[in-house]
Amino acid sequence: MGKMEYREEKLAYGMLFPMLAFVILFIVIPVIGTFWISLHRDVTFIPGFKFVGVRNYILVLKKPEFWHSLMVTVAFSLVSVTLETMLGLIFALILNEEIKGRGLLRAIVLIPWAVPTIISARTWELMYNYSYGLFNWIFSQVGLGAINWFGTPISAFFAVVFADVWKTTPFMTLLLLAGLQAIPKDTYEAAIIDGASMFQRFWHITIPLLKPVLIVAVTLRTIDALRVFDIIYVLTGGGPGGATTSISLLAFNYYNLGDYGVGSAISIITFLTVLSFTVVYLKIGRFQEGLK
Amino acid sequence: MNEKGLKRIMIIIGTTLMVLICLFPFVWMVVISFTKDATFLGSSYVHFQFTINNYRTVLSDPTLHFLDYFKNSVIIATLVTVVTVTISALGAYAVSRINFRGRMAVPIFVLGLSMFPQISLVGYLFKFIERLGWINTYKALFFPYVAWTMPLALWILLSYFTQLPKDLDEAALIDGASRIQALYKVIIPLSAPALFSTALLVFIAAFNEFMFALLFTTDYRARTVPVGIALFQGVHGEVPWGNIMAASAISTIPLVILALIFQKYIVSGLTAGALKGE
Repeated sequence: MGKMEYREEKLAYGMLFPMLAFVILFIVIPVIGTFWISLHRDVTFIPGFKFVGVRNYILVLKKPEFWHSLMVTVAFSLVSVTLETMLGLIFALILNEEIKGRGLLRAIVLIPWAVPTIISARTWELMYNYSYGLFNWIFSQVGLGAINWFGTPISAFFAVVFADVWKTTPFMTLLLLAGLQAIPKDTYEAAIIDGASMFQRFWHITIPLLKPVLIVAVTLRTIDALRVFDIIYVLTGGGPGGATTSISLLAFNYYNLGDYGVGSAISIITFLTVLSFTVVYLKIGRFQEGLK
Repeated sequence: MNEKGLKRIMIIIGTTLMVLICLFPFVWMVVISFTKDATFLGSSYVHFQFTINNYRTVLSDPTLHFLDYFKNSVIIATLVTVVTVTISALGAYAVSRINFRGRMAVPIFVLGLSMFPQISLVGYLFKFIERLGWINTYKALFFPYVAWTMPLALWILLSYFTQLPKDLDEAALIDGASRIQALYKVIIPLSAPALFSTALLVFIAAFNEFMFALLFTTDYRARTVPVGIALFQGVHGEVPWGNIMAASAISTIPLVILALIFQKYIVSGLTAGALKGE
């Protein structure tokens, strides 16, 4: 290696140093640290930090509440990503049309994304309120009974899902819109000449050509949904009776109780679940190729 | 009906629903923020009474600390934006222009980190920040936020820098400029839109963050708007919705206006961050 190249390489490391220092100190080491804590008994009111091996993990895996939260998290991700993909695709198809005021419409779609999660959660909480919420008022106007949204496991689950879908659909819309715009116009023109109907064009051109973007977007949103915390914390606090407790919230509750060992074990299990999806995402995204 | 007509009707219905869905909760927030006695409305929405008292209370009652939270959020998010954008511009320049061992690995590594669930950091991070005595200080949020927003910033800038022809800064290098000079005299001025969208996205991400802020602050000294609004409770157990919605509107409207004005930048930033590999 030449002297010049060596100097350049050193310079590159120097330029990367601040960035890597931040992510290593405040992301990588904390994850390793949390893993380290998960191998110990670490409870605020029991003195002594004691190595216990995988005992915390065994404790967690034996807890029905853990399996329940895992199921809640998976169900939440499945339902909310599905709804969001359908809604996002509809929005993207509309925004892809040459209609008047398209710029304004595109800006409006961005609003739910710009409202901070906690603030949108509180607004939805108010709209779901039993006695003076908007939804129950509408139901009463059309002669339906009021729903105690946070009172039953199913309604609380959907209350959380709807609020999350509202918040996250813009992101899905933008990704799918970018995908739609990359489809060459003459593909459609050729299909029209061949006599393909609107729905045939959608099934045989749009969907197949959109598939790569669709897969990346769905994977990315699934990764995000699996770590859901904020919106549940504010809307239901995980209730009623743990019915909407996600794994992130369950870990958080253990930290709040002062049981860092078990909280960390749950956190690491969450981490591994998300990591497996991340590996898939990095593979299908073919991110290295973009750099060449 | 012919196909064109059917399509037209579908677009009209779809557009109406889309606008309604996207705007409604936001509009509702604003309406309630101007409503007198929002908690006692019951089924009497028709008796909407306009008031600005909710805003007056939120902005003037010192026990609510809303202005403290707002100030904390703005200061922290601004600092994080400046530092994150600067540091990731350096990193993105190195990766896009210089050949070094691990050049491919760095961005993939950083991107992978952004997918980590926040909860997997907090067990250790809480103890670390507590031991440093950082609870209730800006530092407790600043450092984790910079790390947390870095991956997105790196990806947006990287996708932009790699598109810029290499001849541009190589010409400057031949003229005797250093790499750092080439970066801030040639690349930075050409990358204004990318830097701008990165800054906006980082600011909004830092302004919205909740879990770290919830854990690392316990009072008004460093507590941010999301935590303040999440924990906002009335004195007698009655939730002061009018005040909460006024505080929410004050915090949200600037972000929404930013998003509307700079919509193009945000869209290109978000899609570049997520779909770089396409």
